[in-house]
Amino acid sequence: MSDGALPHPDLVAAIPRLRRYARTLTGEATRADDLVQDTLARAWEKRRLWRSGTDLRAWLFTVMHNVFVNQRALARRDARNVSLDDDAAGGEVWQIAVRPAQQARVELAELLEQVGRLPAEQREVLLLAAVEEMKYEEIAVVLDIPVGTVMSRLSRAREKLRRLADGPSPGLRAVK
Amino acid sequence: MTSMTDPTDLDLMAYADGQLAPERAAAVEAVLARDAQSAARVAEIREQNRLLREGLDTWLAEPSPERLLAAAAAPAESTAAPWWRPALAMAATLVMGLALGWFGREALLDRQGMPTSFARQAAFAHVLYATDQRRPVEVWANEEKGLVTWLTRRMGVQAHAPDLNSVGFALVGGRLLSGHEKPTALLMYENPEKQRLTLQWRKHDRDANETAFRYAIEDGVSIFYWIDHECAYALSGSLDRAQLLAVARVVYGQLAAAEVARK
Repeated sequence: MSDGALPHPDLVAAIPRLRRYARTLTGEATRADDLVQDTLARAWEKRRLWRSGTDLRAWLFTVMHNVFVNQRALARRDARNVSLDDDAAGGEVWQIAVRPAQQARVELAELLEQVGRLPAEQREVLLLAAVEEMKYEEIAVVLDIPVGTVMSRLSRAREKLRRLADGPSPGLRAVK
Repeated sequence: MTSMTDPTDLDLMAYADGQLAPERAAAVEAVLARDAQSAARVAEIREQNRLLREGLDTWLAEPSPERLLAAAAAPAESTAAPWWRPALAMAATLVMGLALGWFGREALLDRQGMPTSFARQAAFAHVLYATDQRRPVEVWANEEKGLVTWLTRRMGVQAHAPDLNSVGFALVGGRLLSGHEKPTALLMYENPEKQRLTLQWRKHDRDANETAFRYAIEDGVSIFYWIDHECAYALSGSLDRAQLLAVARVVYGQLAAAEVARK
């Protein structure tokens, strides 16, 4: 931090959400915080691209997604000659740590495990819609894809979760 | 006046997510009232959303680490850290290689009005995404119409996906590169030998009558690039010059024909 510079309050307010989404992107806490740090640095570099009055959170998520995509592509180039351990679905192995108090919630643990088995592109859309509660149009901007693609990926994600959930215990979940 | 079209599964999904346009809501609610399975499906989606938030909202309460608070402050003017990790030696080498390779050409090309930085960026982006096996593009060729519409809207200029089947290349899909000041559209093509080409374009400010193809090669990537009145284009691939030129001619011809057809 440079002398005398205070953290910008709007960016500080965004950090918890950025960390949460970064953890779902990277699947690991330290890499997630690295990603958030890189995102904030890039946000400062590109701050002129953010139009004041528009949603800052959505813009920061867009920056983070760009940083993540490019870092991943670079990492794949470097790892080209190394055999990678993929699961059958063709995506990276993704695990998300649940707090101990919630491990008792079997339902939650099962759902998170199933979410981990989704292809990354479906998981990203699902979490932005369900957890961040972003509008489909906002998600389209963050991920740089058409709105129609957002909706079709979201629909496929939920279909896949249904199939995974119906495996061991068929039937609809009881509505509370 | 009620809508004449039946709600689709996507309408139900949008309704469950609270994102359905109000004028469509009445039609969806009528379906939910009479179809228990649809109603259960909507309830299921909402319950799933709620459960995911319940699981992941607890992270929001965690205190932010010092280093992230520091990153939320304006950086010192003197440090301009690159946003990619210098520890990735190959990435650094690639950038250095491009910088050194283009050095001799810059003075010449600047005089002829071609933005060299665009060609350099196009080469870099080609290498980055053409070598990506899992997600080289964001929108795949099966959604070609949506892809073209989306690129058109985002770029502010009519997009075209040239048909390169006559020269053996099929469309893989496309993406938008928005890391720089101006967005760049990228279309990727592949032949049966799994060789990939990228066609990139970005809006071009300066008035230029010059449309001659320029050719460059860097680290095994060949690039043909040109400017028309609206955009700068770059066609990149690891083909030899003659092969790439053949494809570039097809691309150029189709873009020109589309332009004429619009007038």
